[in-house]
Amino acid sequence: MSARVGIVVFPGTNSEEETLRACLAVGLEAALVPWNAHPDGLRSLDAFVLPGGFAYEDRVRAGAIAAHDRLMSAVRAAAAAGKPVLGICNGAQVLVESGLVPALDDVERPQVGFTRNAPAGKYRSTHVHVKLAIAPERCTLTASLPPGAVLPAWASHGEGRLAGEPDVLARVQREGRIAFVYCDAHGAVSAQSVPNGSALGAAALVNARGNVLALMPHPERDAWTYMHHGRERERARGDAAQMLATSGGIALFAGLARAVSA
Amino acid sequence: MTVVRCVEVSLTIPDNEARTALVTLQRLGVPVTTLERADVYRCDVQEREADHLSELFRSLETLFNPNKHSLRVRAGDGPARGEVWIQERSAAPERAEKAGVRIAGRRLPGVTSLERFTSWRLSAEMGAPAGPDLVQAAQETLLYNPAFQKATTA
Repeated sequence: MSARVGIVVFPGTNSEEETLRACLAVGLEAALVPWNAHPDGLRSLDAFVLPGGFAYEDRVRAGAIAAHDRLMSAVRAAAAAGKPVLGICNGAQVLVESGLVPALDDVERPQVGFTRNAPAGKYRSTHVHVKLAIAPERCTLTASLPPGAVLPAWASHGEGRLAGEPDVLARVQREGRIAFVYCDAHGAVSAQSVPNGSALGAAALVNARGNVLALMPHPERDAWTYMHHGRERERARGDAAQMLATSGGIALFAGLARAVSA
Repeated sequence: MTVVRCVEVSLTIPDNEARTALVTLQRLGVPVTTLERADVYRCDVQEREADHLSELFRSLETLFNPNKHSLRVRAGDGPARGEVWIQERSAAPERAEKAGVRIAGRRLPGVTSLERFTSWRLSAEMGAPAGPDLVQAAQETLLYNPAFQKATTA
């Protein structure tokens, strides 16, 4: 039997269909889970994905209301049980606001935040690359990636800048909680590759146990060749099979599939 | 010579954000009975211009729409009892000594410094302003993220 993944849909979530499609493409049995589903009915799921969007219209702060949603008790229970939990964009903001990442000292309170982009404080939609910044096996979702793997994705957020107290950020870095950093297409890391002023160039955070991953850019929007930006897509022109093949960001969903079947 | 004035802009129509925050706080066991939200602009303004501050802000169409906002110049320069003001830690006051600071694409003559806050006004039973413990419980439970925001109370 294939693994069952719940894709959480809060009022205002808007990337659930793409996320579902990416999960199905890697062989996962996935279904949308609305915010008003009873948490007790979700405990048998093998993993959760929190997609992007504007949960509860980002009221109070991005992710703040959803982090306290009743459904999150099922996500918390899954995380505590070691099941994989992936948050993408707004889903990543929800995981940070819920304290599931970085969860230093296993404290589930907001310890950092994804806040307004710098320097202009404006929404950005742009193609990016992210580089695996931890040993692959450190996170269950990245365990099947090669060291230093570079994935393409689309950044699409107004609040994606990692921010926090300097001592907390230092611990986040020291304790290996930065799972991905922004980079260029060749994996070179520089300030120019960071689209939002994120502290430490961080694109994703992971918890200590390695089963909760909060990723700001969208891998599901760059998971088929025709979605890519640049040469790879151009090379596939005229080859429908290649153009419609999964590639790029799908690797993270393949990693999720391996994690839940492990 | 400058004086400090605070301009408060709040909604006259139902505030969905405040309503959502209120319901969430109550569900989480924080006994708030009402919750109001406003934008607060704390200004250092040259004394001779202080009386025109309300008029200046009313002319900023992107900040103040008379069809759905009310505007008042508050007494005092900080939160009142039952209030908490939230601001990003990295937010620095806009400053301009002579020509006046710019906001919403317009210059405010006589305003030499401007800071923006989100104000939450909480009440407990019978509409009385919430006490410090209740305000603190609300801010720590939901209203701010201490990692990147500051909360200022009375």
